[in-house]
Amino acid sequence: MTGQPNRLAATTPHQFSGSLIDRSKPLKFRLDGRIIEAFVGDSVLSAALAAGIDTAGQRGGRPLALSARFAPSIIPVRHPGDTLRALPMARVSVTEGADYLTVAGPAQRHGLLGRILRPARSLGLKLDGGQSLVQPWLDSPIEAELEYDLVVVGGGVTGMAAALAGNKAGLSVMLLEATSLLGGHSRLFGTQDGEETPDQSIERLSSAVTKAGIAVQLCAEVTAQRPGLLRVHIVDAAQGRAVLIHAPRIILATGAVERLPIFPGNRLPGVMGALEAFELASRYGVWPGQTALIATASNPAYRLAMLASDAGVSVTRILDTRPQPQSRFIEFAKAYGITMAPGLVPASAQPAKGRGITLASHLSAGRQTRPDAQVTGDRLIVCGGWQPDLTLWHMAGGHSRWNAQTHRLEPLDGPTGVALAGSAAGYFSRHAAVDSGADAVNMLLGRDRKPVHDVVIDPIHETPDAPCPISPLMPEAGPPAMLDSGLRLLERPHAPSKGRLSWRKKPRLWSLADTPQSLDIAAIAAGVQLDVIPADRAGIVAQERVGMVVIGTNSTPPPQPVTPPLVPAFLAARFGSDAELWLVAPVEPRMLDPGSLIHRSSSDHDPRHAVGVILRTSDKGAIALMARQAPQTLSLRDHGRAIPIRLVAPYMEDVRLPQ
Amino acid sequence: MSQAQADFAILGTTPQARLLAGLLAGTHGKSVVFVGESRSGFRLPRDLDLSIAPLTRPDSWALLRAAQPVVQKLITRIGGRTSWGRLDPVLFADSAEGQQALAHIRQIAQGFGLAVEKLRPNALSNGREGVVFRDVTMIHRVVAEPALDRWMVQQGASVLDPRSDIVVHTDGSGEIRFGEAAISATQCVLADDAAILRHLPAENWPTLLLRRPATTILTEPTGRIAAPVMLEIDSGLTLWQRPEGGVAAFAPGPMDNVLGKISALLGGTVHRAGQSQYESLITRDGAPAAGRIDGSGPDVLAGFGPSGMFFAPALARWLAGVATEDENRWLAARLVTRSAHTSPVAEYAAPLEAMS
Repeated sequence: MTGQPNRLAATTPHQFSGSLIDRSKPLKFRLDGRIIEAFVGDSVLSAALAAGIDTAGQRGGRPLALSARFAPSIIPVRHPGDTLRALPMARVSVTEGADYLTVAGPAQRHGLLGRILRPARSLGLKLDGGQSLVQPWLDSPIEAELEYDLVVVGGGVTGMAAALAGNKAGLSVMLLEATSLLGGHSRLFGTQDGEETPDQSIERLSSAVTKAGIAVQLCAEVTAQRPGLLRVHIVDAAQGRAVLIHAPRIILATGAVERLPIFPGNRLPGVMGALEAFELASRYGVWPGQTALIATASNPAYRLAMLASDAGVSVTRILDTRPQPQSRFIEFAKAYGITMAPGLVPASAQPAKGRGITLASHLSAGRQTRPDAQVTGDRLIVCGGWQPDLTLWHMAGGHSRWNAQTHRLEPLDGPTGVALAGSAAGYFSRHAAVDSGADAVNMLLGRDRKPVHDVVIDPIHETPDAPCPISPLMPEAGPPAMLDSGLRLLERPHAPSKGRLSWRKKPRLWSLADTPQSLDIAAIAAGVQLDVIPADRAGIVAQERVGMVVIGTNSTPPPQPVTPPLVPAFLAARFGSDAELWLVAPVEPRMLDPGSLIHRSSSDHDPRHAVGVILRTSDKGAIALMARQAPQTLSLRDHGRAIPIRLVAPYMEDVRLPQ
Repeated sequence: MSQAQADFAILGTTPQARLLAGLLAGTHGKSVVFVGESRSGFRLPRDLDLSIAPLTRPDSWALLRAAQPVVQKLITRIGGRTSWGRLDPVLFADSAEGQQALAHIRQIAQGFGLAVEKLRPNALSNGREGVVFRDVTMIHRVVAEPALDRWMVQQGASVLDPRSDIVVHTDGSGEIRFGEAAISATQCVLADDAAILRHLPAENWPTLLLRRPATTILTEPTGRIAAPVMLEIDSGLTLWQRPEGGVAAFAPGPMDNVLGKISALLGGTVHRAGQSQYESLITRDGAPAAGRIDGSGPDVLAGFGPSGMFFAPALARWLAGVATEDENRWLAARLVTRSAHTSPVAEYAAPLEAMS
């Protein structure tokens, strides 16, 4: 696999051989002119990553990783200008001979020389400034409108359970899943005692969904939502289309997003979240490098380490923010011989000389930290805990609040006809997540509800997640510390430096309120932890800053133009309650501008002393509103000049003056 | 429980409210408590602070013109030179009446010595008229707000937690409790829309004030607009483009209406980086409103528009009983108890249907 250096070998059975790819069916396609080798079942993104392209571009002179949450859109090379045909890389399956270009804003594209000199592992985008990656497909015109009794967003175990419960209740159901297969993320989280395995749950539920004839749409991403209405972008056979779905009941089973630990270099190529690393490996057999470091605040990362070891990867160390973490996965990981390093916070990451990532860490004891040794690995897997994905919930008008115990935003009340279920609703165990799917249906139908029991292992045996790790603030310049791994390139705020040359630059006025991009929910959570957002305002900020495209607007038409009254209300009593209308004329021929103030004397130009004003011009001349008993000859100010004018005659149109 | 006494309780979040509290405490020697959230760092803006406004009354411009250098000097002392900047905002109108008002605004502003230029016909769009004001002062809230908070304390005002329990009585007095502490205030000042909406009971609601939905939308970076700040006086829409290209737009009206208007003005589909719909207040005659509800209740400040902060020194003097003759006359004409019918202080106000 010389053309796929980051593809794991499948000589021995392991869970990272790639469930979606068919290794017996190799193919080739082009991306930005580069020939990329792949397998049937790959997405364009997984193929690019397998081929060693791990960099989206440069920001501030430093490389920025390509990932599932940060990848440019692509467009068939035969339609280079038709950006509405652009598609997200992660949702497009590769086909033999396909030829794609990445789509970028004009300022993000290098010139010819830059493209020629582009590093082999980079897509070569310029990612400075406030502009994030463009997503032209968000604006795709609506091609169809559909109607269902119930739409379930999210095809994990919760979503499938909800869809089945809705179907059983006699509702017409549409199940939407953003990726190319059902099942969600539960495989990473393993099994608790007494539970069926994730694979058993997924197999059981997906078979039942198929048997029930429930409409399932894969590769379907909800891009906007309001109660009763969803806007969905679907990728099907490398074609995109947008549809509106009307549904009086909507269940959001959108799971949880993984938090990105905040430290300089957390978006360098080679740094990746545990969930994405797991999915790339388990679905596509993609795992860059032979060695890996893991820095975590959550237990599933240990399970990832074991699965990676099974696949032949050498996990050299697991750093854990928690001083004495306990987990069944930790005990297994110890048995694998993996070195544990508890109580360590990632401090910074730098590209290692030659290849890989060098991680510096700090020993954490309460608020005190001190530097620890540096370690190097081919890649760094990070996990900062989990945040319920309330993005669509906030779009729909749902509320949320920060929970200081769990360090995450959790849902409160929401709009009628919309319900949350599973991890998105805050449940931890798979059993509860599945039960919550049926509970959400009961709630939407106004039926009696059974309590959902979220059985969580005792903290003595399974240490809860720590707050998302945040490195000590580093004074020296380094790669930026990003707040999240998504499309919005929000950097950790820092005080302006006061170096010798600091007078040359105006200090930048940074505020979260000014960032011209929506804030992903994980960035909101990071903002709370960094004290940029007060905890008691996190919910309202999350609701305000959710990104949304236009969906089913109900705007009222603008008012029809009307002829304004000759004397508008804002001139009422301006020149006395007995002001008069006059036709006025300049002594020298010229036009008189409406709004020009009329004075008794050419030397007086204080607007408070004006005795009249030009209202408008008519075929009879200029009409003025004049104080009663104004003299016949007057002066008008125009562009700072005094223009002599005279009263010609009272204006006779039947106009009622304001009292 | 300890119970302290204050002359004034200023309730509000705007720089106008903060400046008012600090001036009452420091300059006028009143005992003042201030209760208001510091929100400019993380909430979407609902207004901004400019040394100009779409005012059509010369006496309003006279006060504003006199206040501008004073406030600018004061805010420099409070927050440093980075707490304000200069820019050239554009006021524009599409409707015939709006364009008529715009002409009056331009002429009056010129009469007070401001540099105002009429934009050439169709410079903005076909049939649209605009004027550009030169060298207008704009307060940078992100810098000024925390500085004002520190300054209020230096001036002797008690700045209380915004989560305090507040009771405003119909006689204008009030009580503020936080934890075990409580402060009684002889006179409460409801210094912004949110404070009025929260603390003024319906039975005391003045006929002059109307509740209206309002919307703020923040767009993703878009092409450069004609000026960093643009005020459409027909509907009260403000467009404020940030250095990185995003446009914060706020206007009276529900979300869909404002979104449609912004899309039309920005020339295409708007990608939202944030949005918020909230309740706001307008006065029936478009003019500012101040003074006590029913003549003896809490003081309210409403309808001051983008230049509200610049009226704070005059309002502080008025509340302290040391206002100048001009200030007394101006504010007496703009009491919240006035009748809006054929108001002698009416400003150009957007038609109500444009806001509904």
